[in-house]
Amino acid sequence: MSDLRIINLEKQYSQTPKKKNPAFSLKPVDLTINEGEFFSLLGPSGCGKTTLLKLVAGLVQPDAGEIWIGDANITAVPPEARRFAMVFQQSLLFPHMTVEDNVGFGLKMQKIGKKQRLAQARDMLVHVGLDGFGSRFPDQLSGGQQQRVALARALVSNPRVLLMDEPFSALDPGLREEMRDLLSRIHKEFRFTVLFVTHDREEAFHLSDRIGVMSEGRLLQVGKAKDIYEQPESKKVARFLGLKNIIEGNVANGRFASMDQAIEFPVGESIKSGASYMVLRPEMLKAAHRHDLQSPDSLYLRGTIQQLRFNHGFYTATVQVEGHQLESHFSNQEAEGMAVGQEILLVVELDAIHLTSE
Amino acid sequence: MWQKSKPYLLLLPAIGTIVLLFFGGLFDGLLKSLGYFPAIGETGFELTAYTELFRSSAFWESLSLTVRVAALSSLISAVMGAAIAVSLFMLNESAKSRNTQLWHRMFQLPLTIPHLVGGYIIVLLFMQSGFMSKIFANFGWIGEIQEFPVLVNDPFGWGIILTYAWKEAPFVSLMIYPVLSRIHRSWRDVSRVYGAGNWSFIREIVLPAILPAWTIAAFIVFVFTFSAFEVPFLLGVTYPSMLPVYSYQLYTSGTLADRPEALAVNIVLAALTILLGLVVYYFSKRWNVMKGWD
Repeated sequence: MSDLRIINLEKQYSQTPKKKNPAFSLKPVDLTINEGEFFSLLGPSGCGKTTLLKLVAGLVQPDAGEIWIGDANITAVPPEARRFAMVFQQSLLFPHMTVEDNVGFGLKMQKIGKKQRLAQARDMLVHVGLDGFGSRFPDQLSGGQQQRVALARALVSNPRVLLMDEPFSALDPGLREEMRDLLSRIHKEFRFTVLFVTHDREEAFHLSDRIGVMSEGRLLQVGKAKDIYEQPESKKVARFLGLKNIIEGNVANGRFASMDQAIEFPVGESIKSGASYMVLRPEMLKAAHRHDLQSPDSLYLRGTIQQLRFNHGFYTATVQVEGHQLESHFSNQEAEGMAVGQEILLVVELDAIHLTSE
Repeated sequence: MWQKSKPYLLLLPAIGTIVLLFFGGLFDGLLKSLGYFPAIGETGFELTAYTELFRSSAFWESLSLTVRVAALSSLISAVMGAAIAVSLFMLNESAKSRNTQLWHRMFQLPLTIPHLVGGYIIVLLFMQSGFMSKIFANFGWIGEIQEFPVLVNDPFGWGIILTYAWKEAPFVSLMIYPVLSRIHRSWRDVSRVYGAGNWSFIREIVLPAILPAWTIAAFIVFVFTFSAFEVPFLLGVTYPSMLPVYSYQLYTSGTLADRPEALAVNIVLAALTILLGLVVYYFSKRWNVMKGWD
């Protein structure tokens, strides 16, 4: 197996005298990416995800820690000998080379003969949907096409790990989706190991087998998309994943109570006492009917509809519950007859409420 | 109407002066080289000066010396200039420090020194009684200073070549450096990830990038040394002399009858320069050296 193992990798940038804010540092990161896995590092700009990627590529030297691929320690191996490939935010194609030569660059560096090199490059261009573009120069291609060439250049040399640094962020939304599908299809076909960096949640959720959420130089949580979405381990992760309805409170004597005591419900025995945050996913909140029997396994919240917005395919309602504004999603059918200012009874199953720490 | 022609009218004095002095001088030279010289009573046109010139062995020896000196100085300064520019570029990439600035300034220094002074520096350093021969003698590498090779006022033209190589290398690097700075910093990262070491990066990315500017810089140096006067005059020998010096010798020989020949040398120089310019233009178009960079 040639898993990529990152062991306590650390990097501290030196403080520049001109900048007053403290220098960036990447806190020790411990991570294993399985062979053939599509792993995304998700986090806001400046959280250290690109630094981590460059450390893995060997373009930046770590202060401490090790990088292993299979049973080989590659921490001290220079980037040119790692047999990795990287796709950057910009395509960074060499302007004086044709598309074919650009794609075959890695192979040329591996001293593969011209004939074989060009044949492989052309073959890869077919895979990225650029058949017949080989003899053009990069400036004759659109932004999306250039990024496809960059992808072909990365894949053709059969890298041990493919590193991708926000490769689609410079493209417009339609094109981004198209590229995402292309990458997903190609990954299924070739099953290479991918370490993908992005700040786009949707992109990470769409593509990844597993996701690592980063913030301020720390790797906060690693897991499958569904797991980290439904069970974020901290408020920070929940916030970054765009989760709404995060309410501060306390757990004591087997019950959670919001700071203003307006929301209260029993919690499982495994939940520790102390400060806590409840996360209520908008799609789990339903409208209850007054005449329904109130179930002990559910939490009921009475509030007033403050806003009702149509989103593509469903409605988003903002409901004022005591001192809290909760967001809830309703289907077209459910939203029928709802109006701003109307009272509403919301219900959520206790199992669907997630409690997390700071 | 006034608005449209105003810029041209404002430029007129400058353009007029250039046309009068440059093209006027060239035209006057052409007329005189063709034997039209009213001052000595010659008002006809003939090609005697040219036929005489092409028949004289002094002219051909002078031409071959000129081509050799110009070719060697542009070649050496082109290689040195490119090496300087690439080293500065790599230095800049690897460490942004005050040292880099210092190196920059040091390599630019020869640009500020006039050719004549440069020539004197070479004389003082490389003549048989100069610094270099004394250092060599003191270290015991040569017995007497007379054993030091004749590098100044030598028939081969080494003194002139050394001066131009030293003086023009910074010019070549100055021409190349801005092109190098257009090379994306991340291209180095890209090439490293795909397996290119320093030398492969230079061969595959840096050299193709600088080739157009490099060719043009080398050509400018060639044309300049081809028709330059003061350094060959100072550091050359009386025979054979480089073409501009040969022309000067003919012009000041004391007899007015030699003047058409002297001016014919200048016209030949100008014609060769234009021809070289056309050749370089043709090849730069044909090689498509600018492809993709714009």
